[in-house]
Amino acid sequence: MEKTEIYKPEHYENRELSWLKFNERILGEARDKENLLFERLKFLSITASNLDEFFMVRVASLKDLVHADYTKKDIAGLSAKEQLAKINVATHEMINRQYSTYNRSLLPQLAENGLKVISHHEDLDEEQKKFVDHYFEENVYPVLTPMAVDSSRPFPLIRNKSLNIGALLKKKNEKKAEEEFATVQVPAVLPRIVRLPNDKDGNVQVILLEQIIERNINELFLSYDVVCAHPYRIMRNADLTIEEDEAEDLLKEIQKQIKKRQWGEAIRLEVEDGMEASLLKILKKELHIKSDDIYEINGPLDLTFLMKMYGMEGFDALRAPKHIPAAVPRLHGDYNIFDEIARGDILLHHPYQSFDPVVKLIQKAAADPQVLAIKQTLYRVSGNSPIIAALAQAAENGKQVSVLVELKARFDEENNIVWAKMLEKAGCHVIYGLVGLKTHSKITLVVRLEEEGIRRYVHLGTGNYNDATAKLYTDIGLLTCSQSIGEDATAVFNMLSGYSEPLHWNKLSLAPLWLRDKFLELIARERDNALAGKEAKIVAKMNSLCDKDIIDALYDASQAGVKIELIVRGICCLRTGIPGVSENITVRSIVGTFLEHSRIYYFWNDGKEEVYCASADWMPRNLDRRVEILFPIDHDSLKERIIDMLKILLADNMKAQIMQSDGTYERIDRRGKVLLCAQDYFTEEAKTFLEKAEKKDENSRVFIPAEPQ
Amino acid sequence: MKVTIFAAIEIASYEVSMKIYALSPKTMKEITYVRHRMELGKDAYRLGKISNERVEELCSVLLDFKRIMKEYGAAEYRACATAVIRELESSSLILDRIFVKTGVQIEILSNSESRFLGYKSIASQEKDFDKIIQKGTAIIDVGGESVQISLFDKDTLVSTQNIHIGTNRLKERLSNVYEQSSHFAEVVEEIANNALKTYRKLYLKDRKIENIILIGDYSPYISRYINAAQTESHAMSAEEYNAFYKEMLSKNPQEMLNVLGIPAESEALILTTLVVYRKLIEETEAKDIWMPSLNLCDGLTYDYAEKSKILRSAHDFENDIIVSAKNMGKRYQSNKNHVNVMTTLALTIFDKTKSLHGMQKRDRLLLQIAVLLHDCGKFISMSHSAECSYNIIMASEIIGLSHIEREIVANIVKYNSMDIISYEKFAEGSSLNRDQYMKVCKLAAILRISNAMDRSHKQKIQEIRVNLKDTKMILTVDTLEDITLEQGLLREKAEFFEDVFGVTPVLRRKKTM
Repeated sequence: MEKTEIYKPEHYENRELSWLKFNERILGEARDKENLLFERLKFLSITASNLDEFFMVRVASLKDLVHADYTKKDIAGLSAKEQLAKINVATHEMINRQYSTYNRSLLPQLAENGLKVISHHEDLDEEQKKFVDHYFEENVYPVLTPMAVDSSRPFPLIRNKSLNIGALLKKKNEKKAEEEFATVQVPAVLPRIVRLPNDKDGNVQVILLEQIIERNINELFLSYDVVCAHPYRIMRNADLTIEEDEAEDLLKEIQKQIKKRQWGEAIRLEVEDGMEASLLKILKKELHIKSDDIYEINGPLDLTFLMKMYGMEGFDALRAPKHIPAAVPRLHGDYNIFDEIARGDILLHHPYQSFDPVVKLIQKAAADPQVLAIKQTLYRVSGNSPIIAALAQAAENGKQVSVLVELKARFDEENNIVWAKMLEKAGCHVIYGLVGLKTHSKITLVVRLEEEGIRRYVHLGTGNYNDATAKLYTDIGLLTCSQSIGEDATAVFNMLSGYSEPLHWNKLSLAPLWLRDKFLELIARERDNALAGKEAKIVAKMNSLCDKDIIDALYDASQAGVKIELIVRGICCLRTGIPGVSENITVRSIVGTFLEHSRIYYFWNDGKEEVYCASADWMPRNLDRRVEILFPIDHDSLKERIIDMLKILLADNMKAQIMQSDGTYERIDRRGKVLLCAQDYFTEEAKTFLEKAEKKDENSRVFIPAEPQ
Repeated sequence: MKVTIFAAIEIASYEVSMKIYALSPKTMKEITYVRHRMELGKDAYRLGKISNERVEELCSVLLDFKRIMKEYGAAEYRACATAVIRELESSSLILDRIFVKTGVQIEILSNSESRFLGYKSIASQEKDFDKIIQKGTAIIDVGGESVQISLFDKDTLVSTQNIHIGTNRLKERLSNVYEQSSHFAEVVEEIANNALKTYRKLYLKDRKIENIILIGDYSPYISRYINAAQTESHAMSAEEYNAFYKEMLSKNPQEMLNVLGIPAESEALILTTLVVYRKLIEETEAKDIWMPSLNLCDGLTYDYAEKSKILRSAHDFENDIIVSAKNMGKRYQSNKNHVNVMTTLALTIFDKTKSLHGMQKRDRLLLQIAVLLHDCGKFISMSHSAECSYNIIMASEIIGLSHIEREIVANIVKYNSMDIISYEKFAEGSSLNRDQYMKVCKLAAILRISNAMDRSHKQKIQEIRVNLKDTKMILTVDTLEDITLEQGLLREKAEFFEDVFGVTPVLRRKKTM
């Protein structure tokens, strides 16, 4: 039975265009004068690396669809070809804005603050020229591999994402000599930013490596005259099996459609603007690239070097101070984590609150004589993870350790295999993921044999077990020893080990089998309440929203009168303010210093409010092709805390931008309002929580005289 | 409070599962229930053997189970297989391979043993078990092969019967019909009807059944569906079940599985099961139906907890075994008074000669059952009663006894009146090992003496005192009757007792004042 479609394509946003808007919002942070100058550099750098990935994965996949003559339209009614055309226009605009930000806003500001970037080698003074030539001879020349192209030498392979300098050459002393093409890669092993001697006022001066090479390019082709030389950079269609994470929805379509792929096809060419037409023509022809896919750049190619600039010594006043997460009130100083969890559920709000308790839980479990087993899912783990070390230690101490290692996590495969093997050696039972499903859930189970019997300690989270990203991503964690969650946790690990599902679940909902239905049920319940004339409300926070079933359910609910407030950081295919469809829905996006990563789902439920956290976004890939966990926050005070959190996020008027009915995002009019930045608020809140708790501790530090026997 | 962690493993025809329990004097708490679907039955029933791949798969699952046991600190376990392995020619070979590979020792349970454990599991879970079985109650265990119906009245087992209308069996028999007929449910009903009518006539007669406790693969799902609103386990009425049944028949089998939350499964099987349940409810005319979520693992765990004295049961399970043996004796018209006296005598001797035989409580039960059935063969033939008794016992299901135990009992009875033969000869026609053979000899020796003491069947000797003195066992009786016959017979039977225990029984009359 085909479901009749009530909603039309124009009721949805295309996910690629929505993603570009998200990158635009980050760019907005780079342009925001209220941000510290170096923070702005960082944001700009992020937009550039994001865009690179977007091209390699999303654009490349769309191109594959076009090659495969795949004509099916997306949720917003666009074919792959139409999407590419729109993306092309939007990315050209975005790049223009990136460079106008860099040139007009950031460079002058940097100069004012004592950091002078010399954009063109022609602008160097005599002394500086001597310095860079010497630097070139000593450091750069030995690692360069210039390559000329002529009838006997074919066009060389230009590596993906590498920065190169293309040049036109003419044989010396031959008047009628033909122009020949030559290219040299700017070595990635050398720092892109080269520091020059300070000027007489003590200002720091820097120049980019490619400028130094360009200035000395004659040295590379001694028997030629160099007619012109300019940087260029290409982006290739990446190997999708690696990039599966971001493109898996498309990948499935591609696998159905295409037999022979054009691996490594160039999909974008960036050149310095003002490049001679003849040089550009050669590149265009040799790389088989269309004019649309050429980007003429007014400034240095590949802005990701700004991240390096962010890390330059000095300039501390221009950077936000390093964020140090606050300790969790009950979990600092000298404490027994098991006793504390047994006293009551504990909520962790990262990165405002420290991730240490989670690491401690595993470290403590490794050494605790009563602990029998530790089970954990690991998705993306940091290099020298203390968690891995603790797990290995636990196995060596004779604990039963089972770890599900997700090898399909993007870019991390090699890394994962290395430590997975190490864990195996230490005696852990390692499960290498599930066939056809990615295990994205974040769950840890510690089994302890106590006086009263078996007790299960569980950690559930919205973020990965990665102590590095836990300092940058906002996430929620729950520590509990609730019996019903413990039983469910055991069932989760049984399922992950390939055993049958439990006869029933107490508290948790799992994707891909039950989660979608659970969400649809929760949304429908609000809809039904609204239809029955009751108050109805949904607040949901996530990274991305692009699942059609969920969006349709939200549209249905909106029409029934449910008030829906969404906090979606990235892609959002739902559109707000469409008459008769989504008038009751608002969407806001918060882009700040920390990456908004937590997934929180709130339902009014006729006054019996329900709050859930999850590892899953409302995306098809989360609901259909991953193992995800949704867990309720049942404890009253913790539930209150999360509801307060949502209130603060909804009240943010500094970093939040609101989706308009035309699909654009706008900042909030702050006139007459108290300024509120949710991330700053939570940072302060975490500190006050701790201070209050410490005060309480001090008060209780009284000697208590013994009662006479 | 001391907590014991115990693991029970069941190898069934469609699933290998393990339950881990935390046992304490007060409770039996399930910690985890791990299930692995594996159609051992398909191989076994179709090919008569289990393929190598399956055995390998089973081994890897068992190794994994061992790991999970460690995760929860389970120090002890019991692993059992039922019909699926029992009926294989090569069962011992397979079990040995599994043991060598995994270190897991799997026992094969007889039908009567596994059914007994099945109903022990009910006692473990149902708080009101003892209350329920005060009234007429049928415990119906619907398996793939057969259906076991055990009747209780006033807290005791009245009868237990095995009927070959197991769901898998019916489904297989009717697989052609399923393809062709749109009236599959009616066809199943007809077949079940026939078997159940016979049962009703022979065993149920006019006994009134108030409650049914139904255990089967799907019962937990059905119970959860019907009792969706209740949190505690709760009985449903026959009307409720019938309404549910009607609702289900209006759906196609796939929808049935979906609404019940049963994982992908043979469509014919679910339908067959629903029909069989309905027929059983209809034929017994029960009012309340209980469907606890239980399997063999629960029974194994309860049995362990009981035997290792962690839990004390309010219900006397041993008595159920004795009652069912008594009922069997009644059917074969045993002499009740004779049997009663013999029981007293045999058990007294057993209890007083522990230092001689060194046997356990369980062996005492076997002796008691042997006494109850020792002359059942006379029902068939007076002159070949020993052989006939042996055959009757071997052909009967005695709930709670394993097949080995049953064979021991049958042999005790046989060698009550036949001359014992050497183990080597004995082993040719028996699966008992040397230890079990010794048990047969010892218990038969005791049985012979107690039988001799009531040779007249007049219950002249009601009570005895037993004293061991050097190489003599003095049996002192307090009776005014003439015991010349008994004394004479005892001398005849004493020889064998002497051979076995090295002690001569001597019968004396108590000196009256």
